[in-house]
Amino acid sequence: MAKAQKGQVRVITGNAAAAYGAMLCRPDVATSYPITPMSEVAEQLSAFRADGLVDTEMVEVEGENSAMNVVTAASMAGGRVFTATSSWGLVFMYDAVQQASGFRAPVVMAIANRETPGILAVSGGQQDIISMRDTGWIQIIVEDCQEILDSVIMAFRLAEDFDIQLPVMVNYDGFYLSYLATAVEIPEREDAARFLAPLKQQPERPKLVPGEPLSCGTHGIEMGFMELRYKHCAALERATTKLDEIDKEFGEIFGRSYGGQIEEYRTEDAEIVLVTSGSATGTARTVVDAKRAEGIKVGLVKLRLFRPFPRKRLAEALKGKKAIGVIDRSVGFGWNCGPMYMEIRALTPEIGIIPMLSYIDGLANLDITIPHIERVIDEVSAAAQGKPYQEVTWIPMEE
Amino acid sequence: MVEGTKKRNKIFDYFREKEELYAGGVAWCPGCTLELTARFVPKVLGKDMVLVGCPGCSAPVFYGQNVGTWHRMTYYSCLMTGVPSSATGLARYYKKIGKDVTIVCFTGDGCAADIGFQPLSGAAERNENIIYICYDNEGYMNTGYQRSSTTPLGAWTSTTPVGVAGKGKPTPSKNMPLIMAMHGAVYVATATLSHLEDFAKKLLKAKEKKDEGFAYIHVFAPCLMGWRIEADSSIEVCRAAVRTNYFPLWEAENGKFRLTHEVASPKPVTELTKLMRKFSHLKEDGLAELQKVADERYALIKSLCDASK
Repeated sequence: MAKAQKGQVRVITGNAAAAYGAMLCRPDVATSYPITPMSEVAEQLSAFRADGLVDTEMVEVEGENSAMNVVTAASMAGGRVFTATSSWGLVFMYDAVQQASGFRAPVVMAIANRETPGILAVSGGQQDIISMRDTGWIQIIVEDCQEILDSVIMAFRLAEDFDIQLPVMVNYDGFYLSYLATAVEIPEREDAARFLAPLKQQPERPKLVPGEPLSCGTHGIEMGFMELRYKHCAALERATTKLDEIDKEFGEIFGRSYGGQIEEYRTEDAEIVLVTSGSATGTARTVVDAKRAEGIKVGLVKLRLFRPFPRKRLAEALKGKKAIGVIDRSVGFGWNCGPMYMEIRALTPEIGIIPMLSYIDGLANLDITIPHIERVIDEVSAAAQGKPYQEVTWIPMEE
Repeated sequence: MVEGTKKRNKIFDYFREKEELYAGGVAWCPGCTLELTARFVPKVLGKDMVLVGCPGCSAPVFYGQNVGTWHRMTYYSCLMTGVPSSATGLARYYKKIGKDVTIVCFTGDGCAADIGFQPLSGAAERNENIIYICYDNEGYMNTGYQRSSTTPLGAWTSTTPVGVAGKGKPTPSKNMPLIMAMHGAVYVATATLSHLEDFAKKLLKAKEKKDEGFAYIHVFAPCLMGWRIEADSSIEVCRAAVRTNYFPLWEAENGKFRLTHEVASPKPVTELTKLMRKFSHLKEDGLAELQKVADERYALIKSLCDASK
């Protein structure tokens, strides 16, 4: 393994990390429209432009819906594009979000996750990404500021890969990460360019050429539509292992990798496994260590790829375990459990019938605390020993 | 092309595109003014452009199906909320890579004045290098003649029906071309098919000024089906709209307004309304109200033109 490339270390927020990641990939067109808690991404990108660090065409749109349309069209014309949003902004671009994936436009979008729908909550939660589950996008969820920056760079590699050609959302917890300033290593531009260079060796993706007889976005009917859907889903399937490959390659250049679709922590000899995503994973890792010291054989799986769902990797990680606990920072309306729990339950044929416990925690900036996670591990551990358990627990409601 | 013995109409002198851009046999409804507009615009502007459109009457032909289309133009289709913003994305990308491309949005009034108005207003304010052409058939004609915000006062539509209580649309239309002019767009004009030379000149001027910024052309385009017009009189309806000052032909170039076709002795709006059945329920008072709207709007545009002199 070659010596990892070092970059400058600076103390920056999660939002700035997202903007740095985009800047290093030198997008042709990017948009800015403010929304709490991601506005800083737009500001930072505009500042990069003003400082001459990028020659990106920045479009100060009049709403998120336009933001998504601007970048999708620029992408279809052949450009590299980036945008960022949050919560209601994401909801406001819902039609355009679905158009982007149907067009197979390799848009990269950073999302500082925040609550929707219903009563207005200017606070963190992952409900906004849950509402995007079926949009046909690739959804990556990250844990800390460094991972935000690194994942944005990886997202361009993944989105623009000739075998994939799909838009990618890079999700990070709003408030918890968006405003959290930590030391982040900012890769050198040349290294980012080197990492993205393999894209140039690939065949050129189809694009709109002015004056050429070509219509982008035709009416897909019957078999024509069926075939496009089939190919879209096949590309999503390919994205699972592709992310693993890209993550590995990133590690070889920069010395940091994140496990690709999922990150496993002390799972190998674990009897019970906790599944988390986003910033709560850091806390969970600490608690897992503490519980291990107490003699509880607990492991942790960080769900990084939410769409496409990492079925194979999860089944491998969870097979043979005695019980599983899943912590969700969102709810599955109509199922009264956590959405990620719901999806992991669907893996039962692969992992076997074992106790699976759903925990809903951390909505609207409620903290997912160490005592909360201790409680989860204790209950899952008890369930593994055959004790009766409650399937779904809304942790803060029971405190 | 076979040269006829008859003197060729001078409108052909404006045609920059010699190639036939549509597949043989392509047709919209018989006598459709949108079809004539859709055929006329690229003939004048030339096919070296990207057309951007959305669902509506123009979509069935422009979109194509699966891997085939019925034209030889470059077309980008998007949703009704995304036309000027998609055009912005295209224009900005081509600018970034140094490619000189004409980006033309081509939509109906439902997109321009209603659901797609926000991005249109935004693109105009940002002064994007886009030409936006709105063919105004005064309602959602494609989905079955529902009212839009450009449907005129008193008009029948399928969602402003006439009955014991219903009297047609209760409010006047949104004055779109003037609203766009008030954005300070580089070029704004009105046009219609009865005055083709005027239309062609405006298209060319919009193209000429595209590097300066945003251009908007509002085309009066009657719908024979939705307005209940006889199939052979669509151009006559366009002419009547101009002659009654219901749809005055004007342009605003960098904020300077000018009537491009001043009507010497305008006819009453009844000369227009009698050609269709969407106003047939209107009694004298209803027609007088419609006349009042037309008079006030004409007086306003006239005063803007006079002030620009």
